[in-house]
Amino acid sequence: MQPLRIALVQLSPRLGDLEANLAQHRERLAAARLAGAGLVVFPELGLTGYQLQDLAAEVAMRIDDPRLQDLAAETGGLSAVISFVEEADDHRLFISAALLEDGAIRFVHRKLFLPTYGLFDERRFFAPGDRLRTVASRLGIKVGLAVCEDFWHLAVPETLALDGAQLLINVSSSPGRDLAAIHEVGLGTAASWRTLMRTYAQLTTSFVVFCNRVGMDETISFWGGSEVIAPSGEALFTAPLFDEGLYTVDVELGDVRRERVGLPLLRDERPELHLRELRRILAERTGLDLDEASEPLDSPPGAPGAVGPKGGPTGDPKGGPTRGQRTRR
Amino acid sequence: MISGPGPSHRESSDGAGRLFELPPELAIDTGIAQRVIAGFIRNQLRQAGFSRGLVGLSGGIDSALVAFLVAEAMGPESLLCVLMPYRTSSPESAEHARLVVDRLGCASDVVDISPMVDGYFGRDGELGAGGASAREASQLRRGNLMARQRMCVLYDRSVPWGGLVVGTGNKTESLIGYTTLFGDSACAFNPIGDLYKSQVRQLAAAVGVPEAIIRKAPSADLWPGQTDESEAGFSYPELDRLLFWMIDKRRTDEELLEMGFASTAVERVKRLVATSEFKRQVPPVAKLGPRTTGVDYLYPRRRPGSARR
Repeated sequence: MQPLRIALVQLSPRLGDLEANLAQHRERLAAARLAGAGLVVFPELGLTGYQLQDLAAEVAMRIDDPRLQDLAAETGGLSAVISFVEEADDHRLFISAALLEDGAIRFVHRKLFLPTYGLFDERRFFAPGDRLRTVASRLGIKVGLAVCEDFWHLAVPETLALDGAQLLINVSSSPGRDLAAIHEVGLGTAASWRTLMRTYAQLTTSFVVFCNRVGMDETISFWGGSEVIAPSGEALFTAPLFDEGLYTVDVELGDVRRERVGLPLLRDERPELHLRELRRILAERTGLDLDEASEPLDSPPGAPGAVGPKGGPTGDPKGGPTRGQRTRR
Repeated sequence: MISGPGPSHRESSDGAGRLFELPPELAIDTGIAQRVIAGFIRNQLRQAGFSRGLVGLSGGIDSALVAFLVAEAMGPESLLCVLMPYRTSSPESAEHARLVVDRLGCASDVVDISPMVDGYFGRDGELGAGGASAREASQLRRGNLMARQRMCVLYDRSVPWGGLVVGTGNKTESLIGYTTLFGDSACAFNPIGDLYKSQVRQLAAAVGVPEAIIRKAPSADLWPGQTDESEAGFSYPELDRLLFWMIDKRRTDEELLEMGFASTAVERVKRLVATSEFKRQVPPVAKLGPRTTGVDYLYPRRRPGSARR
């Protein structure tokens, strides 16, 4: 199989300046094409900048926006992932990543998890997406898209892999912080991300592509460090921290098959088990009926405060708390 | 006085003697700090439509470090250092400020603020513009007025220089409120405001601030013999460690005591932080209209069209 050349565009968008960022995307796309790339990945909100606040509504685009269509038109024979503020028909705003292929918008992923803690305030300005699907790419494989914080939730890479993804793409605007010298790379954020991406690649036995922006918005600086990780968890490429640039990496998509044959983790996944337990957990959280069919856990007879499935005192001398019931002390 | 667990890492520049004390948990990657700060300075200036900065250079480590950082980010030709001594300022302060200017080869300017300050408080029995009560003013009032006169001079000088005033306050003094509101804390942006004093020393050593400046006892130099540490009753490494665990690492009072910090120190520092909250925030505006700045009118400071020139 012909190796796939991936171009990571570690750029610095201009905050709120759509025209300048569109022009920058077109230039980088052309440069990547010239460099022989088959997949070009731009960072989260590369078309708008990150720290938008109330500007979000002013730079939002509908999927049928001619500016997006024009950008898509430049992807003949190419795949590209770009990110922007999407305005839905009902005027909700999303942080979206789109897969552009062969001149059209093939797929849009809306950021699922909007961090609203610490230095983040995304939920104030954006709506969370609620679909997590892979997309069949012109590359001949299924691709899973995720935006930044989406990757801080285990279910995202797992679901995408189960849905058939062999290539997971995370586009980010990750602000650098925690400069403590104890960290492997001198930046706490970068150290955490590297751990995550190697772990996900290995556990999903998929390629992981991470494209993080550089530059500054207001007081926060974005650290770059974009990466491509092989299905074995090995980092094939790590871009420098903070440097703007277009970096190309060649990957053998056939590595996915080799890895999965040798290490059949995905074959051995138990989605039905996961689903059953998730249903139970949800039921417990919402106080709905528990799954009566579930087996009781082993526990000492007459455990203090043990209660039966319906919340009454248990009469069964062998009965401990059933699964999902907590013993209160 | 504050104490706490763990031996402090002893940093020395060349093995010839201790340059400063750096608690290990506060050690930063200075290469990354320089990189981020240089980008921050360039970004703040360029987005505002400027390419020059100016710094009030006191002879102390904070302003010396900021001068080095601005010179590194923008080139020394883009930096103006303004020395603003009062007649009682230590001559050593001026010497150290000159050392920085000479080392960087940047532009400098000296403005003696004595006539401005004395013009208000009076001198040698003469009444000043502030009248009789000003003649009896406390050191605190005098110190605050000096800090604010320096602010006035810096902002005035920023016009002919065509640059922005770069702030020099560090995280330690900001958190305990050891700063004059609209005085030394006034600036267009601050590159070192998230660094504790110990980290300022670490970074200063890394960028080549002269050792004499790093080594001497920090002082606001508002009156002869004043030093920060004697005035506050804390040593900076101790205070920095306590603030770091209390604020950055969210340790509760009980946990801080278990770590070995003295309860009197914890109480006192907590009080200093709480009572100086107002100094770290934009003055509040009564909410009346549909959209209020800072509440529900939230725009980036810098966006298309926001540059003044």
